[in-house]
Amino acid sequence: MAFTITACVLLGIIILCLLKFLAGGTGLVLLGKELRSFFFSPIAWVVLALVMLLNGLSFTAALADLREGERSVTLTAYTFNSIQFWLAYFFIFPVITMRLFAEEQKLGTIETLLTAPVTTIQLLLAKYLAAVCFYIILWLPSLLNFMLFQMNSTDDHASIGSLAGSYTIILLVGMFNIAIGCLASALTKNQLVAAMTCFTFCLLHFLLGFILQNLSVPDAFRETVTHFSTQIHVRAFIDGLIDTRQIIYYTSFSVLLLSITYHVLEFRKWKV
Amino acid sequence: MIKVSNLTKRFVGRTAVDAISFNVEPGEIVGFLGPNGAGKTTTIRILTGYMPATSGSAMIAGHDIFKESLKAQQRIGYMPENVPLYDDMRVKEYLRFRALLKGMRGREAKNGIAEAIDLCGLSEMRSKMIGTLSKGYRQRVGLADALIHNPELLILDEPTNGLDPNQIRRVRKLIKQLGLSHTILISTHILSEVEMTCDRVIILDRGKIRAADTPKNLIKHLRTAGHISIEINAAADIAANAIKKIPRVKKVIKESTEQEWTRFTVRAESGTDVREDIVKLANENNWALREIHSHGASLEDVFVELTQSPPTD
Ligand SMILES: Nc1ncnc2c1ncn2[C@@H]1O[C@H](COP(=O)(O)OP(=O)(O)O)[C@@H](O)[C@H]1O
Ligand SMILES: [Mg+2]
Repeated sequence: MAFTITACVLLGIIILCLLKFLAGGTGLVLLGKELRSFFFSPIAWVVLALVMLLNGLSFTAALADLREGERSVTLTAYTFNSIQFWLAYFFIFPVITMRLFAEEQKLGTIETLLTAPVTTIQLLLAKYLAAVCFYIILWLPSLLNFMLFQMNSTDDHASIGSLAGSYTIILLVGMFNIAIGCLASALTKNQLVAAMTCFTFCLLHFLLGFILQNLSVPDAFRETVTHFSTQIHVRAFIDGLIDTRQIIYYTSFSVLLLSITYHVLEFRKWKV
Repeated sequence: MIKVSNLTKRFVGRTAVDAISFNVEPGEIVGFLGPNGAGKTTTIRILTGYMPATSGSAMIAGHDIFKESLKAQQRIGYMPENVPLYDDMRVKEYLRFRALLKGMRGREAKNGIAEAIDLCGLSEMRSKMIGTLSKGYRQRVGLADALIHNPELLILDEPTNGLDPNQIRRVRKLIKQLGLSHTILISTHILSEVEMTCDRVIILDRGKIRAADTPKNLIKHLRTAGHISIEINAAADIAANAIKKIPRVKKVIKESTEQEWTRFTVRAESGTDVREDIVKLANENNWALREIHSHGASLEDVFVELTQSPPTD
């Protein structure tokens, strides 16, 4: 019951914000500009190439391993549980989010933006959604890998549930981490500082479960914190278990982080 | 067009703008003059809705900038200090983005961009990257952005800052031209600029308005006299001392000597004329006087007097 209410409230907030964002088309203009600056900067293409390379490698490695004999995991699980995959993964967020606000603050263009008839929420959502769009595009090539494999294989190896689960959790964790990046970028003029902050907090959240394993803390505490651990969520989703609790968790924390970012930007607007 | 009353902005530990009030009528070109740190940029940022005031109110074309900021901002074309721009965009693209952002669509946007490019003389630069433009052209891009949606009010923060004399002249000409169809508020710390372009001057210093009038009236009514240059045939020291003794004379400066002739610049108290006294003195001492000339006060004198003497209130 409480769960349904939370979900409804969350959905309400998101729809309200999107309506504000779309009002008058200003949000879409900003979104277009943001996407354009992603694809006109070399950073986007470098990230895209490297992510493709690393995904390709982990995919090939998974295939090679599976060829050796019977395994109890699926191809998807193999691919997404490899070290290469997670190494590449946490470098994506700092790189795609560091410029968002830091650059505008450094150049002073935040002043031209906010003195045009633009609301802070439109600016924030345009930047966030642009980063999310780019992030989604980043994963399309790897999806192609699985589809090609599916077409050429005789059996049903890449089970559809596992695939859907994997991409859902990648999207959810991505939205959450991009929100962290937005906040980090809004807090500073310096892109490197924004990148480091984003990297640290993304990784910290991911490793919550790990870090506590070796610390002597009460079991109850450890168990509570483990619920927040991305690691465990990822494992469940990769096995094809799409858990609505996790969906709510990541969405609501993204909304929370974005609202903090909003207040940081407003505060900046009042102080700079 | 602009109504400001009792506007105050306090930053931590310092008051940048201190209870200022002024109005700008439609069609005026008003100069906002003050030394660096006077609070010009702060006032302008408040007027454009970039930051709120600590207290007081500001109305733009009948809209309260705090309560109806989007409506007010729609009426303003603003060029911030140092003209922040995206270096990785082309001029045309940037102006297109700004036009769309200000709510123009389709043909309206197209015409607006074409007009702004034309007016600011950017036709040859339209496809250049902004990052490769010279300072003068960047300034023009900023100006084109400010007037792209044909706003009633233009607010320009130090529009000629960092330009070479030729570019300055061009920008001023452009401002004059724009003044025919817009209300303009320009801030500057350069005097000749307001003297040349503005109908009215507001002199700001340490967050307070020191004077607000036409450049002419300021010079006429303010408590400043100009200076007098004289050329006299007398021993320099004796003459200087004698002139200094004339009541109301504040300062006597020896400029040059040419054989037995000496040139002095005499500064007297504001609003007084000591020429007669000097002539009388010369006659009494039998000094030959071959030149005496009173230079009217310039706006510069007004400015220096207003912003350098400790505030009287
Ligand atoms: N964001 C800020 N935080 C603190 N002090 C500021 C800020 N912005 C401006 N000031 C101070 O306010 C005063 C007025 O600055 P400003 O309006 O930029 O002057 P001007 O544009 O006339 O040169 C300066 O002394 C400056 O140090
Ligand atoms: Mg300034």
